[in-house]
Amino acid sequence: MVMLRGFLVLVVFFLLGEALRLTAGLPVSGGVLGMIMVTFTLMLRGKVSDELAEASRGLISVLVLLITPGVVGAFFIVDQFSGYWTTVLVALILGTLLSVFTTLLLMKTVAGVVEEGGEHD
Amino acid sequence: MTEPSLTKDALAALTTGPMLSVALTLGAFIAAQWLFARFRKPLWMPPVLIAAVLLAVVVAVSGLGFERYYTGAAWLTVLLGPTTVALGVPLYQQMHHIRALWKPIVMTLPVAATLAAVYALGIAWLMGATPLVLASLAPKSVTAPIAMGIAEQVGGSISLTLGALLITGVLASLFVDWMAKWLNIKDDRIIGFALGLNGHAIGTARAFEISPMAGAFASLGMGLTGVFTALFLPLMWSLS
Repeated sequence: MVMLRGFLVLVVFFLLGEALRLTAGLPVSGGVLGMIMVTFTLMLRGKVSDELAEASRGLISVLVLLITPGVVGAFFIVDQFSGYWTTVLVALILGTLLSVFTTLLLMKTVAGVVEEGGEHD
Repeated sequence: MTEPSLTKDALAALTTGPMLSVALTLGAFIAAQWLFARFRKPLWMPPVLIAAVLLAVVVAVSGLGFERYYTGAAWLTVLLGPTTVALGVPLYQQMHHIRALWKPIVMTLPVAATLAAVYALGIAWLMGATPLVLASLAPKSVTAPIAMGIAEQVGGSISLTLGALLITGVLASLFVDWMAKWLNIKDDRIIGFALGLNGHAIGTARAFEISPMAGAFASLGMGLTGVFTALFLPLMWSLS
């Protein structure tokens, strides 16, 4: 029952996210909107219930299980785009390498500067 | 094999409900966790990829076919929505760490999320990719439910986008590990944020393996990148 109560909260927030997406015509998924809403709600409440913490931990631990069926699909479209795979692979490998490098370097530099500056506040 | 019609009938009976797909997915997930630990956790072959390869082989060889498998597995993937919501809980629990780092996050995010799309697009464009391929690659760093929406809006192929998401997620997990070592970054917060921003759900799953704090920062990176890219990319596309 404890897990179920937490799960119900998550499903309700997902539905609220979907409702917001549809009424406001936002191009963001209901799940992400629900995630933002749940975070803000918890910030306002100032605490998280054991039920919700338990249910979230359970679901997050099987996140990989839930994305697997979608990932399997990638193997069945290989033929469909046979002419493009070199381009796609090069773009993804180089592009991801560069963007990971940029993110880490930016965060490191900016965090270093902010933390040093923060000491003077 | 000796009586193919019987096998076919059995297969048809078993696939009227979703349970065969659910069982296969659960089995592959558990086998993947075991294999992953067995092979000393190779970063280039994360559990999600092991599970997907096992499933792809079974689905192809058994004659089940991807369409039938996926219809059944939808009973599992429906939980992806509430699970995305669940990522908000560690986000809240780690809020004090996030607050301490909010300035670099706000400064980095728009640039890094834009470049995550632009680098790949630029390279693909230089290599002569068609508009369909470009539109499919554009949301490569965004979590699947949002990426599919973006691909649709800018005129990409959803299946190619999903393929690009898989490759990007695996590569991001691998590259973040290398680059963090190379740049001498040991801060779980920065590593987690880079994993979520560049590697969406696959990177976030990897971040939760590192620590709950890395996981929370990955959820934050993934969520913010999703929101930012969903708003920014279709706009940029309509201008170009």
